Amino acid sequence: MLPTLLLPHRFKIIGWILFIPTLLAGLALIIADFEPGFELLLTVFSFFNDDLLSHDSASPGLVLTDVTATVLGLIFIFSGLLVAFSKEKIEDEYISEIRLQSLLWAVWVNYILLFFAFLFIYGVAFLDVMVYNMFTVLIIFIIRFQYTLYKSRKTNL
Amino acid sequence: MKNTIRIERAILDITQEELAKRISVSRQTINAIEATKYVPSTVLALKIAKCFDKKVEEIFTLEEDD
Repeated sequence: MLPTLLLPHRFKIIGWILFIPTLLAGLALIIADFEPGFELLLTVFSFFNDDLLSHDSASPGLVLTDVTATVLGLIFIFSGLLVAFSKEKIEDEYISEIRLQSLLWAVWVNYILLFFAFLFIYGVAFLDVMVYNMFTVLIIFIIRFQYTLYKSRKTNL
Repeated sequence: MKNTIRIERAILDITQEELAKRISVSRQTINAIEATKYVPSTVLALKIAKCFDKKVEEIFTLEEDD
């Protein structure tokens, strides 16, 4: 089976270099309750901007806003995709099999976790669940895939 | 599905790594096939057989539960 929809192997290294610091920065931002003590103000084009407090402005246009979370989220998704979907050094059929199995595993685990989050978490705290859930499939997949690869590399004889 | 890759490797006196290199797959793949954890595709089975200069049926055989 030829691996399709995968990026060349060299993108994986670039992905890791961006992914690790972004993940740590993202965790720091969560710990700081999304108030890191500084703002990254930038005028951006907003297609839809809905403010919880005031009821005006939802039409497309330029807005001045804090883009800390935006930047982190974008780099996280970009680098996460590079790490997850770049080819291994030798991407053969067995590696592809491990990749697909890991992806399946990650989607299962992610939705089982989300199921229980729906069941047991209520109120504003559920917003946190939604924030985490945007990234967990990718994180769970990367951990599972790397772990399985590591295990298969370790088995000798 | 059983296979005799380990025996054939011993005859040629090559490691998993060397066999993997000859048919351009990863060492893990050879290891997984030898451990019968993974059933190779027809293409890969043919390549392995060719490498040992044997027929596919001489290397790979069905088991009762296949």
